[in-house]
Amino acid sequence: MSLPFGSETTRATSTLVEQIGKWLAPDLRVKLQGLPKTMVDQLEEVRLRRQRPVALIGHHEEWFLTQEGLTKDTAKAPLLKDEDFHKTMQILTGSSLYAYEEELRRAYLTIPGGHRVGFCGRVLLESGQIRGMKEFSGLNIRLARDMSGLSQDLLPYIYDYSTDRPFHTLIVSPPRCGKTTLLRDLTRELSEGNSRWKIPGMNIAVVDERSEIAGSFMGVPQMRIGSRTDVLDACPKVEGMLMLLRSMGPQVIVTDEIGKKADFQAIEEVAYAGVKVVSTIHGYDLADIKARSQVAEFLEEGLFERIIVLNRKRGPGTIEGIYNAKGESLTNGKEVKIC
Amino acid sequence: MLKVIGALMVLLSCSLIGITIAKGFRERPKLLKSWEGALQHLETEIIYGAVPLMEALEQVSLRSEGEVAKFFDKVNHYLSTVPGITAAEAWADALEEWKHDSYLKDSDLEIIKTFGQSIGYSDRYDQEKHLNLAKIHLRQAGQEAAATAEKSVRPWNYLGILGGLLIVLILI
Repeated sequence: MSLPFGSETTRATSTLVEQIGKWLAPDLRVKLQGLPKTMVDQLEEVRLRRQRPVALIGHHEEWFLTQEGLTKDTAKAPLLKDEDFHKTMQILTGSSLYAYEEELRRAYLTIPGGHRVGFCGRVLLESGQIRGMKEFSGLNIRLARDMSGLSQDLLPYIYDYSTDRPFHTLIVSPPRCGKTTLLRDLTRELSEGNSRWKIPGMNIAVVDERSEIAGSFMGVPQMRIGSRTDVLDACPKVEGMLMLLRSMGPQVIVTDEIGKKADFQAIEEVAYAGVKVVSTIHGYDLADIKARSQVAEFLEEGLFERIIVLNRKRGPGTIEGIYNAKGESLTNGKEVKIC
Repeated sequence: MLKVIGALMVLLSCSLIGITIAKGFRERPKLLKSWEGALQHLETEIIYGAVPLMEALEQVSLRSEGEVAKFFDKVNHYLSTVPGITAAEAWADALEEWKHDSYLKDSDLEIIKTFGQSIGYSDRYDQEKHLNLAKIHLRQAGQEAAATAEKSVRPWNYLGILGGLLIVLILI
């Protein structure tokens, strides 16, 4: 099964692909820009591995790049040329690899548009500490999508009209289900305020440890995260939350991917200060996260007043349920649509 | 009368040839010195400042003089205007264009070219190594060029005039 370039409406190449294309070696860019629109619309990742086929990952599908178009058969796909890989690496780093030491240590960087590029290679150690990376073997461009308004129907569930503040909210989701996308949209909605649900805008501070929520590039958030949002970029969560509490006087603190005990302790401290927390955690459902001893005690205490569980049954961002602190479902089988 | 004018013209052109060759010998060590200085600036920007390459090239261009400044300007120009070009390619292209109006020998240009192949595509430690290597090579070439200049500048200056005189004498 193959899909040639130019089938369907390739003219409507989305700006997203143009954005990504800029960062690829010219040969790859041309191919990517010739992709059929259906593919572009659902593109999630572009994976380059040296001397292996170039993989494009969609919501439910995986394709490999060929000279003429796409194929699903790895045997038919040509291998990525080293030259194209190195070129891409250089373009991504503005031919200034030496200026990206911190990023190399973390193995990813953020490019304009808020997209995330992760890389793999040979890790350099210095007295047991990771100093950087060289001899790169592969990279993965993960597309950040700006999904405005997808949390619209969710807002009344997480907003406490009696106190005029959102509830402490936790989004539970397996990887690649759109939890960061949802978190970002919630941040924007709360920051801007929502007239439909009569929610006023509020000051929000984001601890963006992995630069994923705001996708900051040189100090400027690349994603729309709202007019009343401050971003503490690349800062460890625990320190970051406490720093923001003191420095920015937020009404809500947003952070991504909590999991360690220290994270929950910091959140507790934030909660004592009367500031609300919206965060995400890796997990498949409520039972899954409760099974983790570190997390369980905080959930038992009712630290989080609202818990949103996501899955991927109908594409990224399917809401499985919304629960209160006691674990009771608030949706009662009603479907809450996002996206 | 015509003979005198002819003789003067022969003398003049021969002297000019001599002076030009001598100038080549005189300028080469100076140019190599400026190159060494430019790489020193580049090192400061890259190793201590971790400044992105385009900005670093601009700084070096501002702080260098004459031909060397023009070269760095050229690299920066290619890097910022040609889509999808790597620093090594921009460097090589700029060098190809620049070398026509420089007094450097092929062996000198080779040092610069080799250094360009590694620019920007490794971490600081590695960049430092390449920069140091290039600087050492440039310094050696500079010393050699200075020694050659000392030996060659004066003889070539005289050789031009004397050669001219010789031709004039033979023709008369």
